Amino acid sequence: MNSGIDLEMSFTQGVQNLGLSHELAHLLWIPLPMLLVLVSAVIGVLVTVWLERKISAAAQQRIGPEYAGALGILQPMADGLKLLVKEDIIPAKADSVLFTVGPILVLVPVILSWLIVPFGQNLLISNVGIGIFLWIALSSIQPIGLLMSGYSSNNKYSLLGGLRAAAQSISYEIPLALAVLAIVMMSNSLSTVDIVEQQNTAGFLSWNIWRQPVGFIIFWICALAECERLPFDLPEAEEELVAGYQTEYAGMKFALFYLAGYINLVLSALLVSVLYLGGWGFPISIDWFSSLIGLSIDNPLVQIIAASLGIVMTILKAYLLVFLAILLRWTTPRVRIDQLLDLGWKFLLPISLVNLLVTASLKLAFPMTFGG
Amino acid sequence: MLGFLEKVADYTKEAVSAAKYLVDGLGVTFDHMRRRPVTVQYPYEKLIPSERYRGRIHYEFDKCIACEVCVRVCPINLPVVDWVMNKETKKKELRNYSIDFGACIFCGNCVEYCPTNCLSMTEEYELAAFDRHSLNYDNVALGRLPTSVTSDPSVRPLRELAYLPEGIMDPHELPTNLKRTGKLPSEIIKELQTEKSKKENNNNSSDMVPNQSNSTN
Amino acid sequence: MNIAYSTELICFLILSSVIVSGSLAVVLLENIVYSAFLLGGVFMAVAGLYLLLNASFVAAAQILVYVGAVNVLILFAIMLVNKKEKLKPIDGLKTRKLISGGVCGGLLILLLRVSITTDWNIPGPTSIGEEATERIGEHLFTDYLLPFELASILLLMAMIGAIVLARRDVSITNDNINDLTNQKSLSDKKIRLLSENSLK
Repeated sequence: MNSGIDLEMSFTQGVQNLGLSHELAHLLWIPLPMLLVLVSAVIGVLVTVWLERKISAAAQQRIGPEYAGALGILQPMADGLKLLVKEDIIPAKADSVLFTVGPILVLVPVILSWLIVPFGQNLLISNVGIGIFLWIALSSIQPIGLLMSGYSSNNKYSLLGGLRAAAQSISYEIPLALAVLAIVMMSNSLSTVDIVEQQNTAGFLSWNIWRQPVGFIIFWICALAECERLPFDLPEAEEELVAGYQTEYAGMKFALFYLAGYINLVLSALLVSVLYLGGWGFPISIDWFSSLIGLSIDNPLVQIIAASLGIVMTILKAYLLVFLAILLRWTTPRVRIDQLLDLGWKFLLPISLVNLLVTASLKLAFPMTFGG
Repeated sequence: MLGFLEKVADYTKEAVSAAKYLVDGLGVTFDHMRRRPVTVQYPYEKLIPSERYRGRIHYEFDKCIACEVCVRVCPINLPVVDWVMNKETKKKELRNYSIDFGACIFCGNCVEYCPTNCLSMTEEYELAAFDRHSLNYDNVALGRLPTSVTSDPSVRPLRELAYLPEGIMDPHELPTNLKRTGKLPSEIIKELQTEKSKKENNNNSSDMVPNQSNSTN
Repeated sequence: MNIAYSTELICFLILSSVIVSGSLAVVLLENIVYSAFLLGGVFMAVAGLYLLLNASFVAAAQILVYVGAVNVLILFAIMLVNKKEKLKPIDGLKTRKLISGGVCGGLLILLLRVSITTDWNIPGPTSIGEEATERIGEHLFTDYLLPFELASILLLMAMIGAIVLARRDVSITNDNINDLTNQKSLSDKKIRLLSENSLK
């Protein structure tokens, strides 16, 4: 397997040539990809917000934002700026410490989870061995933040919303983890890079979605529930709970919730594309393509084109899923809390267990196609 | 065992049909995305209010006889008629007249019952104000005529759905000479009149037979 | 002292001070909600220590199980009950506190003595880093299979117990146990029982 472009190596070598020690060069390198991913996550959120507004408008035969920049492209920036300069209100009888920590605790795990999102062979912050398991563990911190903000607002709607959010995210984490487990079983690794590589042997035919169609659907439903998107947005169901745990929040703290929600959506879409849609893989195998042109796969030009194509493919797949999520938002009505828990525990959990069992037996029966 | 299997089968069927409906719904949403927006870009485009639109009330001070019928028919006795009795002429002298549009429900009773037709409904609906007291219109404010949507050069007038030609849903880029669907009130009256005259002619020809039912026409 | 080592040392100091002060606060704070949230913080700091020891799988499992499940359940219980009632004054609270403080202090002294007297320079097994996940799986399904299965049976029992506790409203007596197969007659019976109760 080719190793692709190694930016870290070239960077550290470049810095070492300037006369710095290897360790210092490494230390200088560490914040760079983090910053890059953070910025790209925020830009991704801005794009998603814009898409959400525009696609929602189109689905409802409206125009949507129009005057802020061309086609209203600056509207999310304007929204963010508005939230930034808004007055930061802490209710008089709220618990101010928990009230402040809550939104941070919601946002930080989501951003940390970007650690494992690969955009290419070496284009991720850290190829940690526990990969996808880290994401599952980190997303289990989120309910604490939600409970914290729900409790500290000193508002019954907030508390109910926080409890609902926590119950929802706990009960949907289990089928989610089981769906991921089936994938992990097939690729013999928790690392996201290995999972993608295992799918990119024969173009789009080797994507996991063909081997795990049920897992794909389970994962997508659970991801929507984890992001609290419609039809699972009942922690903030405005008809019953005003805005759930966000009711008392304004200004930057509300913006943190808003940001966390959308970063989580983009992250979930990215992870679906990594786990099921072949990540950075092009629908047609790159090796085959380069041999068609007559260039070696190790040619720097081919490498650069392949890397940028990989980034584009990952983002394209993710945004197709974001589009699907927005479409679903305007198609499906909100479920009730009992229907939500029924769906999670009585439908998704048994089905994901059966899926895991079937995957395991298929793996034993056909080790060639289902990972040996 | 069989019962359990049956249950599983039913459950699967339900899940499949739910998924089918979900996909159907997604198709509907997707289909809506390619349709043209039906929205009106409000401050720049405005819908032409219908002929019988009940907007802000117009009032003509000179026609008013201060009879206070409008006050009596108003559900909340809203119009304020300020008059004094002139002892010499033994006539009411009107001083002021005002209606508070913050409380008015635009039911049109006053307009209906006004004996001198000094009250009338306009097509003005832009009554937003920073202070609700400024919605209390006195006789001068009530006497102003609103700017018509069609005569305002800064506004692009658009026809309402009921005034569009048959089969057209979008008021944008519409030739102005296209007639709306259905008949105009004047046309209906004309038609009724010709029908009536035709019938009368028929009746005249058979005048010898007295017919009670004709009187109902 | 190189950068990597000093970073590790600083992280260790921060994490252990968070753990010590956090656990003290968990025990000593009056507000039970604060205690519960701080417990989550302590769990996370412990996960950080595991990370420092190069055991990333254990760290993630620690967060998933202790923070994501145990701590959230504790919070749930607190928030669903959340009764603000005055605790009854216990007589002899001071002596009780003194006794428990003495026991804790003795335990601390014992542990300190152990930690000081033990020679910690035992060469342990070498860190295997990324392969730890596989090794844990292997161990769980070979030599630690019995404890693993016992733990799962324990969890199953707890789950069944929780279901039984939660479904206490459906009272099953000997005479209607045959009707259990028929859901409708059960609900009829329930309604009848309810009406009988209300008549009384």
